[in-house]
Amino acid sequence: MAIQKYEDMNSIELDIMKEIGSIGSGNAATALSSMLSTKVCMEIPQVSILGFNEAVHRMGNPEEVVAAILVEMSHDIHGIMLFILRADFADEILKQMFGNETEKLHQISQMGESALLEIGNIMVSSYVNALAQLANVDIQLSVPQMAVNMLGGILSLPMAAFGVESDKIMIIEGKFAMDGKEVSGDILLLPDVTSLNVLMKKMGME
Amino acid sequence: MSKQISVGIADMKISRQEGTLITYALGSCVGITFYDPMIKLGALLHIMLPEAGTATNVNCMKFADTGIRETLRKLYAFGAVKGRLICKIAGGAKMFEMKGQGGLGNIGERNVRSVKQILLREGIRIKGEDTGANYARTMVIDLTNGEVKIRTVGKQERII
Repeated sequence: MAIQKYEDMNSIELDIMKEIGSIGSGNAATALSSMLSTKVCMEIPQVSILGFNEAVHRMGNPEEVVAAILVEMSHDIHGIMLFILRADFADEILKQMFGNETEKLHQISQMGESALLEIGNIMVSSYVNALAQLANVDIQLSVPQMAVNMLGGILSLPMAAFGVESDKIMIIEGKFAMDGKEVSGDILLLPDVTSLNVLMKKMGME
Repeated sequence: MSKQISVGIADMKISRQEGTLITYALGSCVGITFYDPMIKLGALLHIMLPEAGTATNVNCMKFADTGIRETLRKLYAFGAVKGRLICKIAGGAKMFEMKGQGGLGNIGERNVRSVKQILLREGIRIKGEDTGANYARTMVIDLTNGEVKIRTVGKQERII
């Protein structure tokens, strides 16, 4: 039976999404690791179907300043990829890239923003590539966009995108750790409901 | 600080006399405050999308059109008078500079436009506004005097 709403998904379908998220974030972590030549670990992703307010609270304090890289997916799968870097993660990446600690998320320069955007772009692309290969689908990505602002404001965008049809959103979040140091960042895979059905079919669920 | 009531996304709260109503980090969403100074009655509405259209949703506070109408209905029921209502709006930012087709990039702008249209149709004038640009805003209304404050990243708090 086709999925009409995110909350209709059964546990097998949720597991499939978890697997997809796991392979995606694994690839993203590898990409980050080879770019910075440091060890990057990841946690097994969590799939959650949450109300708007729950989703914001799950992600953290709505007023916290984070860096976010957003890419729109189209073609076979429609939706949004959102890579959220909290200050500790962003600062760690900036430190590794520039080799000093002058660049911080809270007073980021244009150079620093471009660096984060590029890293984010490569990580998101490897995530989506892995997903496309696994499910044998064709996914086109938009030009990545970046914002450094309040978490709540950033999350309002995917919510507005899916809000017309649903009161809930599905987030597949993968967390990372760098160099043994726990840092906090999430790659969110946010497909629309139609694409969810495409994915399920491609993964052998009918 | 006396009691503070938090308003979530696609949510609305009404209170009177004392305390504050607050909604955090309005991105492309729009926050709308109404205040009747005579009876110190205030409401804060946090909408997410311009109009309900054909959506068969239960939560009317998600949309500008249904949300504003329902809020006004409640305010009038609590004794507010249209002529006295002071309305202020904030939010509707463009968080990401999105290119290409799809209505996502300008959702904030569409929200603001829709809010203004509906308020006009309801015969309510907007007394203060802080909308657009590319940053999120936290909006607070003080119910003792109707003062509305806007908090943003890296800028001073401002009163609209």
